[in-house]
Amino acid sequence: MAVSNRVPILSRFLKPLQRGLSVTPAAAGLAAFLRCLCRTKPQMVALVLATLLLQGCGLLFDAVHQIYPVTTNELDRICRRQQVQVGMAVEPFRPFVFPAIWTDEGARVTGFDTELVRAVSDALAIHCGTPVAPVLHLVRFRDLFLLLNEGQLDFFVSAVAAGSPSPARSGFAYSTPYFSQGGIGAIATQPEVIDLIRARLRTASGTTARKQLLEGLTIAVQDSTAAHLYAESNVTTTRLLVCDSLPAAFEHAAAGLSPSIDVIIGAHPVLDFMVKTTRRDWQLLEKNDHTPLRFTQDDYAVVMAEESYALRGFINDVIFQLYESGRLEHMRHRWIDESYAYPRRASTEGLPFDVQKMPAHYAQGTCRAASPH
Amino acid sequence: MIRLVGILFMTLALVSGTASVHAAPPEQLRAEAEETARLLAKLLQAGRLVIEQNQTLIDDLHKGDKGFTPEVFERQMYEVFRQRTGIDLSAPAAKTALVVPPLARTLLPALSDAGKDVVRDAQVVINQRGIGYKNFIPATFGSQAAARFSKRSHVQLKQTAIQPRNPKNEPDEYEASVLHWLSGRPNSDAYVSELTESGRTLRVMMPIYYQRECLACHGEPKGEWDISGYPKEGAREGDLAGAISVKIPLQTE
Repeated sequence: MAVSNRVPILSRFLKPLQRGLSVTPAAAGLAAFLRCLCRTKPQMVALVLATLLLQGCGLLFDAVHQIYPVTTNELDRICRRQQVQVGMAVEPFRPFVFPAIWTDEGARVTGFDTELVRAVSDALAIHCGTPVAPVLHLVRFRDLFLLLNEGQLDFFVSAVAAGSPSPARSGFAYSTPYFSQGGIGAIATQPEVIDLIRARLRTASGTTARKQLLEGLTIAVQDSTAAHLYAESNVTTTRLLVCDSLPAAFEHAAAGLSPSIDVIIGAHPVLDFMVKTTRRDWQLLEKNDHTPLRFTQDDYAVVMAEESYALRGFINDVIFQLYESGRLEHMRHRWIDESYAYPRRASTEGLPFDVQKMPAHYAQGTCRAASPH
Repeated sequence: MIRLVGILFMTLALVSGTASVHAAPPEQLRAEAEETARLLAKLLQAGRLVIEQNQTLIDDLHKGDKGFTPEVFERQMYEVFRQRTGIDLSAPAAKTALVVPPLARTLLPALSDAGKDVVRDAQVVINQRGIGYKNFIPATFGSQAAARFSKRSHVQLKQTAIQPRNPKNEPDEYEASVLHWLSGRPNSDAYVSELTESGRTLRVMMPIYYQRECLACHGEPKGEWDISGYPKEGAREGDLAGAISVKIPLQTE
């Protein structure tokens, strides 16, 4: 019934066309063919017509777009939902991300990176003309890339080194740096290990020698971090332990588990902060001139999807404004140099987070031997 | 004519309503509200004490799942409350009907639920392994439980102190005057109860005194940072720490 109804409608639509075409013999032939086709294969005629009409759709779309932008970018989407989905590592990267803590206002997370997230959210609110709430997702560091890839996050931030080359990092883009004294450093606790590295440093020279400093030692790194990527590609003659978090590495070492950890390599500012505050039994490895021993020089940046051009431009601008106004330096000073207790800062300026994502991730995890590559 | 009678009736109703609000509440109503306020303060204190008793477990660095669930918390809180008031909140309502005033019969479970909700939300923090101090302490528990309860009921419950660490716990004029009065008096179980706002509101203040366990953060040396980053108060055991303040509007019509 539905099909038979289409024939008269289609015929009515084609009649003026057929009338126009019947002026010349060739056109009359085409009209006769169309009449015949209409009777026998009306669906095919409809398809041909639709295809012909669609040709103009692009032009029409462009014309409308000139007057009223139909397509939206990621900034528009953030404005519409008045929320920005932000990922952050559940594992502490002090002082960039401190452990989640309870406050008078509920569970909060604080640190250098949360202050940056707040600055970006505030700037988004001004841009959108409405409040934009940051919705923090505290997940495992390695899962941040996965969630961003799945489109569940607009961006994430957790002391991520922008320059780490790895196939695993393809498809992601980085903002301009907000912290430029990163890089990979190392800590150790056993005096004989520290002495051994000092002795090697005295005779070492050049990049290759730097890589050989750790030869024969057991190195611990946090899974999927820049240190992990560095160790995998550069430190091949050592035993590598991959830990779910830095606290897991410290616990492994403290418990005397086998193989015992000789050196932990990781983000230098994080290791530096830890040996000064909570892990005073560990020591930052230094060169002979007492400057920190670093394996790389990295900048920390905000991570986004590669195609988030508008958002990247926006965040770059926020970081630039923070830099120009001196606030970025102030942030660096108050989180890196000042003496403070983070629970108090969490109470006064910490950010709430999405609790639903947390339960499966609260364990600090363990360390395991890296699979040979 | 009908409209005129209607307006007259409405005017009379308004006048009589206003008059009854300003009239002194019946003694029985006040007594019920006072007992309800006292029990609410005692229940919040019981919750705080349970957190304090479990502090070592909560701050255990090496343990992930602490097993300190909302249900465990509730059971322990009810036990402390029973020891301090003789009322068993876990018993069927009919059994406690004689000792729990009608007003408290809905408010006490509401406060208990607020406390359980706080413990439930804090699970993500409590169960972190590798993190010692989590700031889930009697004060932060109490602030949240009281705030959540106050949002859900017509009764205002609050922890306050002369110089509170949390600005939201800053005392109002009435609370400040009571706290100053209490600070000059010896430690006792007595509480302050008073009608305010021309008898429309009952205010009850239950003092909290520093115990030995509190002094790690609130004791000597004064001014030195405690673990949470606040300067220690230099308090001694038995000093007034603050009070639980309860504000109940009296419905007299």
